[in-house]
Amino acid sequence: MTSPKKRKQHSDVRQRSSSRISEPRLGILNLSLDTAATGLIAALSVLISLTILLGEQAGVRVRVNIPEDGIVAPYHAITFTFSEPFNPGFASELISIDPVHEGYLEWMDTYNMRFVPIRPFEQGVSYTLKFEKGEVETKGREIKKQLTWQFKVREPLVAYLQADQTTSSIWAVDLNGNPPKRLTDETLKVISFNAAHIGEFIVFTAANEQGGIDLWRISREGSDAFLLLDCRLDRCTTPAISPDGLRIAYSREAAGPSPELPFGSPRIWVLDLQSRQNNPVYADQQILGYNPSWAPNSNKLASYDGLSDQIRVLDLSENTQTIFSSNTGGPVTWSPDSKMILFTTVEQAQGGPRTQVKLADLSINQSQALIGARDDRDYSYYSLAWSPFRNQVVLSYHGGADPLLQTLWLFDPATLEGIVIADQEGYAYNSPHWNPWGTALVFQQFKLRSTYNPEIGLWKPGFEEPLTLAQGILPQWLP
Amino acid sequence: METATSSKRLPRNLILFTAIGVLLILSISMAPAGFFTWMRGRLNVFSTVFLGIFVEAVPYLLLGTLASGLVEVFLDRDQMSRWISNRPVAAAVSGAFMGMVFPVCECGVVPLTRRLFHKGLPLSAGISFLLAAPVLNPIVIISTAAAFGWGEMLFWRVGLSLVIAVVTGIVFSVEKEAGNVLRPALTLSIEHDHAEAQSNDSIPEKFRKALLITADEFFEMGRYLIMGAALAAALQTFISQSVLLTVGSGPVLSVLIMLGLAVLLSICSTVDAFVALGFIGTFSFGSVLSFLVFGPMVDIKSVLMYSQVFKRRSLLYIIAIPFLMSLLSGLLFNYILP
Repeated sequence: MTSPKKRKQHSDVRQRSSSRISEPRLGILNLSLDTAATGLIAALSVLISLTILLGEQAGVRVRVNIPEDGIVAPYHAITFTFSEPFNPGFASELISIDPVHEGYLEWMDTYNMRFVPIRPFEQGVSYTLKFEKGEVETKGREIKKQLTWQFKVREPLVAYLQADQTTSSIWAVDLNGNPPKRLTDETLKVISFNAAHIGEFIVFTAANEQGGIDLWRISREGSDAFLLLDCRLDRCTTPAISPDGLRIAYSREAAGPSPELPFGSPRIWVLDLQSRQNNPVYADQQILGYNPSWAPNSNKLASYDGLSDQIRVLDLSENTQTIFSSNTGGPVTWSPDSKMILFTTVEQAQGGPRTQVKLADLSINQSQALIGARDDRDYSYYSLAWSPFRNQVVLSYHGGADPLLQTLWLFDPATLEGIVIADQEGYAYNSPHWNPWGTALVFQQFKLRSTYNPEIGLWKPGFEEPLTLAQGILPQWLP
Repeated sequence: METATSSKRLPRNLILFTAIGVLLILSISMAPAGFFTWMRGRLNVFSTVFLGIFVEAVPYLLLGTLASGLVEVFLDRDQMSRWISNRPVAAAVSGAFMGMVFPVCECGVVPLTRRLFHKGLPLSAGISFLLAAPVLNPIVIISTAAAFGWGEMLFWRVGLSLVIAVVTGIVFSVEKEAGNVLRPALTLSIEHDHAEAQSNDSIPEKFRKALLITADEFFEMGRYLIMGAALAAALQTFISQSVLLTVGSGPVLSVLIMLGLAVLLSICSTVDAFVALGFIGTFSFGSVLSFLVFGPMVDIKSVLMYSQVFKRRSLLYIIAIPFLMSLLSGLLFNYILP
């Protein structure tokens, strides 16, 4: 506290000291602070009034997330961002796409709405998106002129793994014969990967220096890989991106208590890409799992439990579980409506063990043998891929006399009628993947009894034999 | 003389307190059923909000007062005049960027600015530092980037804060006499400080003095922080945010509501980006941006602290200019960008 005496002394010095603050001053105008401040306040007030006046006359503005070049992904969700809160009912009446495309409008928040295509936009088609002028909210605020945007779907790429003794990288190749492009850095030793359904990114696994395996993410253009999940000493493998692109299911093996002890059994975990929450799918430690596979609607997750020889299907929206017996651990494929799965299992028959393809109906929790129950020999059915839209399934099996030879068969699961699409002499084919339109397949192929030189094959209706795209393994579409 | 006045006032105070007490008892006895349950709930909200604001702000106030103490002891006026340009625009710009050197939020920046004024910091540089430092500092830049990414929200927040701070600083540069802007309590201590700076103390002694100044200033400014936090908590307790959010649609009103919320919530600039993130989708980009720009410059607690440094009219300009510029920015974004 300053005493009155001291206060007086200080007030005496105040007159002298206050001018000690050397003040840089605007020399152009000899204004007082009041004049300058009130002048600025007045100018700002005028500007604010003008902005409001002109802004109100301009009406509501809309922006869409279509790039300037108009090239979009097949499943590109078109987001409309309004400059003001809008009424979804009013706004949806003003939107149209030519040619008409199947999808739905989804209200996101006060300012955003999006069109989500149910089927991918068609290749080679030029779409016109229109937003008619009219009221977009209840108070009469309107879009004052018609807005149009043009867009086309980009060419899909095929991503695959190319490995030798020292490196293992993800590469991408187009279907036009251009040279493949490496996506991941040579320093990263990629073990497995999964391309997002929307085609914007890839999640891959790579070994770390601690002996574990981490999850990484990279865009479709490559060169921007970043560590998605540091698994430290654990092994995080077989990533599967949900079709909506929001979550990643993967198999995780916990490191042993000491380096010389083996890893624990694999369990399924899910990493949420938005919240970054990372949790095991099953709280019960006795439930194991690997090879996670998402249903097309992103609500169900299938995985194989090797301990109990079961395929577990978890409905994440209802938190219910369905179990089917299987002893192969082979991959599961989903029907386009997410209601059925196909998987393989080996059962004992009179003539010995026979691999069967089973169809499980999740709505009634029942499965039945679709193929293989009455086979005269074991065809070792393995890779399965259900077309995303048509009632067509591709299956690999040992077809010829050579037990190593693998053939690809395309069939209708309702009638079991089909055609062989790849059976060149001396070749084995597996890991088929459909493109988003269900019009082409990529798969892995290699010539038996020669130098191991795996290739990426492409098949389309009308092909006499597969077209070789590149050398590599585990192909997937990058739409 | 003073004793006589005190003895005369005592019965008056007693009468006043008794009257308030009687009124309070009467109000309580006439209160409807359920009032106490409601009041208890409100008090719980009040104490939670108050503690939230206070606990969040106290470390930064301490940091600011510590910086102030160190400046007082280790920085002399000659150094200050060497560092700061004597051209108004350059002084305002350099003042705005001083936040990169002194990473303080709006609670800590007030005591530090006051101390820098003591040391001869020009008004233009001091005002722009005061307004810009809560945003133009590494901690806030990183926290904004963590919430919104290294994108346009961060760019515009930093850019607009810089522009508003510099413009306000330039406006204040026209004032010849610092005494016309700063409160007397500030100007009278300048001579005293100068005398102290001439002493040849040892380094430990200087640190001891710096800590003493820190403690003094912390308790002095702490009072205003407590009052500001209490006021902000009271307003938040009795004015429902949901009401504001319901009202706040439309390009103009949404900005005004967000500016009001920025003042009302009185969130420290180091964490306000995460709160603002929650408004994305409900409010437009321009509205949220104006919240992020104006909040660190002016809120309830900082205004109370400013009032200890600036005269009333200057304080009005320090509030009005950033308010109008933030409003204009928000409107331009709402009307030009969808």
